[in-house]
Amino acid sequence: MKKLGIVFSIIMLCGLFSCKHKEGEYHSLKEKIEEEGKHYQDPGISSEAYIGDINTIEITEGGHTFLIPERKGQIKSFACTECHSKSLAQLQKGPKEPKAHWDIKLNHANANAMNCATCHNGTNMDNLHSLTGNTIDFNQSYQLCAQCHSAQFEDWKGGAHGKNIGGWAEPRAAMTCINCHNPHRPQIGSKWPVRFNTEKENERK
Amino acid sequence: MGDKKKWFQLDLGLGQKQAVAGSCGCGKPSGGCGSHATEPPKNDLTISAEEFDAAVEQELMEDSMVAQTRKDGFQQVFDRKMDRRTAFRKLTASLLVGAGAVHTSCSVTSGEEAKEKAQIDWEEQFKGNYKLMTQEEKQATVDRLVRSYQLRKKENIKMSAADASKDVLFGYAFNISKCQGYMDCVSACVKENNQDRNSQMQYIRIHEMKDGEGFKFNEADDNYYHEVPAEGHFYMGTQCFHCDNPPCVNVCPVQATWREEDGLVVVDYDWCIGCRYCMAACPYDGRRFNWSKPEVPEDEINKNQHYLGNRLRKKGVMEKCTFCVQRSRAGKDPACVEACPTGARIFGNLLDPNSTIRWVLENKQVFRLKEDLGTEPKFWYFMD
Repeated sequence: MKKLGIVFSIIMLCGLFSCKHKEGEYHSLKEKIEEEGKHYQDPGISSEAYIGDINTIEITEGGHTFLIPERKGQIKSFACTECHSKSLAQLQKGPKEPKAHWDIKLNHANANAMNCATCHNGTNMDNLHSLTGNTIDFNQSYQLCAQCHSAQFEDWKGGAHGKNIGGWAEPRAAMTCINCHNPHRPQIGSKWPVRFNTEKENERK
Repeated sequence: MGDKKKWFQLDLGLGQKQAVAGSCGCGKPSGGCGSHATEPPKNDLTISAEEFDAAVEQELMEDSMVAQTRKDGFQQVFDRKMDRRTAFRKLTASLLVGAGAVHTSCSVTSGEEAKEKAQIDWEEQFKGNYKLMTQEEKQATVDRLVRSYQLRKKENIKMSAADASKDVLFGYAFNISKCQGYMDCVSACVKENNQDRNSQMQYIRIHEMKDGEGFKFNEADDNYYHEVPAEGHFYMGTQCFHCDNPPCVNVCPVQATWREEDGLVVVDYDWCIGCRYCMAACPYDGRRFNWSKPEVPEDEINKNQHYLGNRLRKKGVMEKCTFCVQRSRAGKDPACVEACPTGARIFGNLLDPNSTIRWVLENKQVFRLKEDLGTEPKFWYFMD
């Protein structure tokens, strides 16, 4: 009887361990990700080379640290004070036709919510300012957008909104708001698809 | 002949002279019935067993042509009577390349290049399944393919045999509220992966679906051409989902497709026999078949290749999205992710707790297609 018990327990033990074969190791993908992610070590793959010649700056927001493209170097007529040497009131005293920025039409929210001065600082044109008047650097313009678009900001920080640059590995680089959305008219317009499959069309006839 | 025969033969007794001599409709050997009178001399009627066999063979050959229409499967090939010449031709068919190779490599008249080409062809013809190769063997076949391309086209390509990295499991997320149906991803995919231009093969399909009616793939259009996004529609992309429990892998009779350690489901184009079982098994329409020889203009060929990825395919093999293995294993985003102007496509390492894909899975409402099948696709959909 005792022998039988030993044999039985050995069989049970074998059964327990034999279940650990490679294929059915996990019951679900979720479990697999959790288990294999427990002892995660950086695989040592870098995406740095794929950022290319984009100048980036590192930002840390809400526990996420990543790179975004630098902005000031991309603005053709920066620094603004090279033209805006006098205050806006004085510059506007001249002839009625605008000499600069004539192509900018603000199409962002309605006139009650926004005008130029919501973001631009009339007395310090080299910087932007928040709703409460705090100075915001042109390179950190996302802070301006985040004042109203908080849900998008959360998604962007986490990586669910916006576009990744280069590769999936470290270091993480992402487009910032104004790389896709023109701040003066942020809506993205409709367009035609880039291709049409004529062969598929033929097959369906 | 006699004892050495390998087929069944009716014995009509024609070989026995006596039986032949006594045979007449009236049953009498005397010749009184009258029909004997018209008979030609006996010695002319008598034929040898060999001659008769040959005649029956001839008859059967013709009969079998009719019978063949009813035969199925391998019987069509194996249950066929054929002369020795045809049999030999059939037997040596798969060795023709090798035979040619031997001929060329042993010839004193052909040049060094031709010999090298033949040598490469020989080794490629008899190489094993990529899945079972050691790292050295993988590198060797990749080197051969690169050299072969160089010899044939006078162009250099770069081909990788990079294996899966430890601690990497690729996953993909698709934001259906962001996709606008521009199809930049489809274009980028075709360019990156050297798909056949004539048949306009595409791995990605973008389905234009009506708002508020759920996923009706039968009613959705995946080949629209009008200004997008269209009023009252949303767009969702499908491609190979790289299932963690891939049904296509289970049905492959030759194990030419399998799941790699980093989760990519790949195909060895040189091992695939083109039976298309995997195509039938895939519940997501993720696989494509080369009905004709895939052709890409030389100046459009993406020369950064991977053995399991975008290297040039041949006629009669399966192919599909590999999450751009030639890019992803090197740390780069797949071409569709890079091309998407809306940021609807998110790609990353599922095992890295700090990756964006993990953030999406943990913080957004995600779902997968036909989750109840238990295929465990590594491709999630979500909305803002």
